[in-house]
Amino acid sequence: MVDVQVDDLDLQLIELLSRDARVSNRKVAGELGVTEGTVRGRIKRLQQDGLIAFTAITSFGMAHKSRLAFISVQAEVERVREVALAVSELPMINAVMITMGEFNILAMSLFDELDQLVETASDRILDIRGVHHVETSIAVKTIKYNARMAKITNPGDFVDEGE
Amino acid sequence: MTQQIQLDAVDHKIVEHLRSHGRASNQQIAEGLGLTATTVSSRIKRLEDANQLRVVAVSDFSAHGFNFLMRVMVEVDGRPASQVAHELAQFPEVFATHIVTGRYDIDMLVALHGLEDLSGLLLEKFSQVRGIRTLVPSIVVDIVKYQFDVAPIEARS
Repeated sequence: MVDVQVDDLDLQLIELLSRDARVSNRKVAGELGVTEGTVRGRIKRLQQDGLIAFTAITSFGMAHKSRLAFISVQAEVERVREVALAVSELPMINAVMITMGEFNILAMSLFDELDQLVETASDRILDIRGVHHVETSIAVKTIKYNARMAKITNPGDFVDEGE
Repeated sequence: MTQQIQLDAVDHKIVEHLRSHGRASNQQIAEGLGLTATTVSSRIKRLEDANQLRVVAVSDFSAHGFNFLMRVMVEVDGRPASQVAHELAQFPEVFATHIVTGRYDIDMLVALHGLEDLSGLLLEKFSQVRGIRTLVPSIVVDIVKYQFDVAPIEARS
């Protein structure tokens, strides 16, 4: 884990921008009682450190990604990382984590049609060398989901032209 | 209330642009897509007002001091799963709670500051929720990919 230096002003800035990222630096500066230059500098540093990224989130149900599935995988221990990487490259796989427990990989998939899930989980994942067993469960109801917190794995994918 | 609105090709183009350039000005988006800044502004406002779109800062778990992630699968007994799920969702450490099909009834993602938080969470918080038959936690040791661009969107207060 990297040692992260985040102070109260950073957290206030994150909180403000997590509600609406399209507010101007001037407005943010006014609300936090700092200069626009400070806001600009802080945002740039947080982005460079991979601590924040600006993105668009669309509603569940829009754009062919209406359902979420948890795909639990048992893979050979010595191959777990290569299996996880192979899973992460499949289409429709949004998250892949290596875990300790009964399953050593958890993949999450947003899909629209059951056929797509069957193809991803039962055909493509089971076919990866080193995979022993796959169990799929579908989220039928989402009670809580905080999309404003995530693992930022590719900070370079997000660009901020700023003002 | 969420009203369903139809998105056309222009809406989709703007949304795709915002996914990678969330803080681009209306003028910058307009130039890239051959539109006017007014069109961009009104399209974004329409999608936001209908709770179909949010442009937000997503922050890394580590920015909040969360260094450990844990998946917890829950088997429910003698109580509706949605009641148990709603109670579990009250804890701030729980950042995702889904009712699922299959062997378990609830699948949760939990963020922890450190492993020392584990006993308090399991023994003092989760154990207070009635109707839990088993809790199966697994610690996340590495995140290979994490890319969610859709989520349930709540109306702005």
